[in-house]
Amino acid sequence: MPFLELDALSKHYGPVKAVDDVSLSVEQGEFISLLGPSGCGKTTTLQMIAGFVDATAGRIRLQGRDITHAPANTRGLGIVFQSYALFPHMTVADNVAFGLEMQKVDRAERARRVEQALALVHLDAHAGRYPRELSGGQRQRVALARAIVIRPPLLLLDEPLSNLDAKLREAMQFELRTIQQQVGTTTIMVTHDQAEAFSVSDRVVVMQSGRITQIDTPYEVYEHPASEFISRFVGKTNLLPPATANGPQRHIRPEKLTLKPAGQGRSDATVVDRFFLGSQWLYHLESPLGPMVVVQVNDGSPAHAPGTVVALDWDDATLRTLPEGSR
Amino acid sequence: MPRNGSFAILFNTLVVMFMLAPLVIVCLVAFTPENTLSLPGWNWSLRWFRKVFEHPDFVTSFINSLWLATVSASIAVGLAVPASLAITRGNFPGRQALEGLFLSPLVIPHLVLGVALLQMFARIGATGSFVWLSLAHVVVITPYAMRLLIAAMTGYDRSVEHAALSLGASRLTVFRRITLPMILPGVSGGWLLCFINSFDEVTMSIFITAPSTITLPVKMYMYATESIDPMMAAVSALVVGLTAATALLLDRIYGLDRVLVGQR
Ligand SMILES: Nc1ncnc2c1ncn2[C@@H]1O[C@H](COP(=O)(O)OP(=O)(O)OP(=O)(O)O)[C@@H](O)[C@H]1O
Ligand SMILES: [Mg+2]
Repeated sequence: MPFLELDALSKHYGPVKAVDDVSLSVEQGEFISLLGPSGCGKTTTLQMIAGFVDATAGRIRLQGRDITHAPANTRGLGIVFQSYALFPHMTVADNVAFGLEMQKVDRAERARRVEQALALVHLDAHAGRYPRELSGGQRQRVALARAIVIRPPLLLLDEPLSNLDAKLREAMQFELRTIQQQVGTTTIMVTHDQAEAFSVSDRVVVMQSGRITQIDTPYEVYEHPASEFISRFVGKTNLLPPATANGPQRHIRPEKLTLKPAGQGRSDATVVDRFFLGSQWLYHLESPLGPMVVVQVNDGSPAHAPGTVVALDWDDATLRTLPEGSR
Repeated sequence: MPRNGSFAILFNTLVVMFMLAPLVIVCLVAFTPENTLSLPGWNWSLRWFRKVFEHPDFVTSFINSLWLATVSASIAVGLAVPASLAITRGNFPGRQALEGLFLSPLVIPHLVLGVALLQMFARIGATGSFVWLSLAHVVVITPYAMRLLIAAMTGYDRSVEHAALSLGASRLTVFRRITLPMILPGVSGGWLLCFINSFDEVTMSIFITAPSTITLPVKMYMYATESIDPMMAAVSALVVGLTAATALLLDRIYGLDRVLVGQR
């Protein structure tokens, strides 16, 4: 029996199918990401699981119990909202204690668990502060502590890191994963950032206009995308002409292409432009195969200047063909 | 914090002076020993204050007014809180109409209301009833509370309430522990505005108060139409003094900023 099961879940707003026939099984302890472009129904799906949006059709089962229409305050789930949603008139400690208070946990036990949860997110020193006295990343961590302190069976995170700067974001992703592994809570995270989905999840659920289009491990989603749309959504890709007259389109990722001295590869190409990304160089090239994007590790050797003629090479094993008729 | 320019300081000083000048003058006049409305010279006297307390009906009307304003402001806010919650949150047909209905007393002249209510009270035998007088005040002051509360509630992040629900709080607990504290500045500000408007109301009250329910402003108006002596100034000075004392006391106990403006 799966831990959480979404069974043909739908939410329609009049003619708008915000979520359409979504089915998903989540195992205990799994970290799942809902990934997709803006407006594809990620938040709506999460809100149905949380109980703030009523499903039009389909069922939600948590540990075998049907919770499709159960009131939100009986589900006992931990939720981290995109806007943090901290209680502005309560201190950090009171924010975190609120859920325990609702569970009628006695005072001493409450204090102990609040302290423990705040230590887990490295905020023990800020227990007496008000949310307005905290930075964005600290508020984020209070929200997380408030959600996990009630020991929910399921943690729902709606773009929890979207308001953070790149550095803090990476640190928080790491922290999120560590905390999730320490506590072992089954987690569903909504994001539209593929790097974030890849770095923290066990499996990625790709959504597109209300429907699930692929469920796989991050590696599989990147290496074997189910459609050209997904391929382009999770990374850059180059189209190669079919090998035979009626053969399928072939794709190759920019980092799988190598640049060699002119004449020594499979096809010559001219550097149109180059971009320095720190650890990598990104090249735009023009070749008889069409325009190409290539990513090369910055190994310290000088980069190819625009106008230089180089040769493209690749390993045939890294070529991908996409399922017929996919878009 | 940006510093105020000298022009801004001058401007604000002038505005405050302009607003305070009448109050200061009336308080000064209250201390005159003369029989006419005049500024006291070197001789200050308390005779007009003594005279006020020789008129027990003034004291009674003052207490009437206090009660009336307290009761009607509380009822008005009690109505306005759920009504503005429904208007700002709800998604039902007739929301706009409801808002219009609650705010409509603002555009009806109090004179017209007074005449209409006078007839109604006579018909249903409500003349001299404190309850009906309070209800009439509730009608005219509720819009002020509504305006403030709707302003406090729009742009309020509902996910905070959702967070409380998800932590297991009942709807009642969410309202008591989360919603109410967050809209408290709107509630207390609305109550105060209602209180002041009720305390101050003359035009309508003239028609519908009876001797037993007469309010201070009506009493003052009636007294002033008969005789103009500095006793009116003394009554005004007493009201000003009491208001200032209450404001100071509240500020000491609660901090007016916190209650009226909120913590952010
Ligand atoms: N209350 C509503 N009434 C009508 N349509 C709605 C409502 N809520 C959401 N929608 C529509 O449902 C679709 C999915 O919305 P949802 O908020 O789930 O998107 P999302 O994937 O979370 O997007 P984002 O990444 O921008 O947050 C959108 O097209 C949206 O316009
Ligand atoms: Mg969303």
